[in-house]
Amino acid sequence: MQTLLSILVSVFAVGGALCVLISAVAMLRAPDALTRINALSPATGLGLPLIVTAAYLYQLYAGSFDWVHLVQYVITVFALVVVSSIGSNALARAAYLSGAKPDASTDPQDLAR
Amino acid sequence: MIIALWIAIGLLAVSVVVGLVAIARAVDGASRAVVGDLVFFCCVGFLALIGLFTHSAVSVDAALLASLLGILATFALARILTRGRR
Repeated sequence: MQTLLSILVSVFAVGGALCVLISAVAMLRAPDALTRINALSPATGLGLPLIVTAAYLYQLYAGSFDWVHLVQYVITVFALVVVSSIGSNALARAAYLSGAKPDASTDPQDLAR
Repeated sequence: MIIALWIAIGLLAVSVVVGLVAIARAVDGASRAVVGDLVFFCCVGFLALIGLFTHSAVSVDAALLASLLGILATFALARILTRGRR
């Protein structure tokens, strides 16, 4: 059981960090601001929940099961996935309103007409 | 397992550096705001991982508060981008 937990912690931590790295590289290569805002979602949707899962599993590995930590973990993953999406949505709307021109090849440009 | 945690911390450090390069190359304010948000989440990841080495339960608490309240910075940046208009 202990070795399984340690393997899971390692896999989740490295996997989460890889997802964050992927979204960072995607932001470097993105042509415009809206694509960069979209590229944030792998980091907050998958990368960080995996890292927080690794942290929680490590607490199970090091200590004992505790309901409070479980509730904190669930709220953290919920906040990371839902609340950060709301923030990115607001940022995307502000980016478009503030005149960040989307890439020329953006096909449906209903807002521009 | 400790090595894997150090590898994860190294990957997060590389993504922070890539984010800073993206900020340096960014043209408009929106891109800088987004990459700033990414760097913020990288630091939340740092907090969670480094908290494991000291066996302190504060790491999950800090990650919880950071993810719940950190979005205020994103909303502030959005409001700055639109120069205060809604």
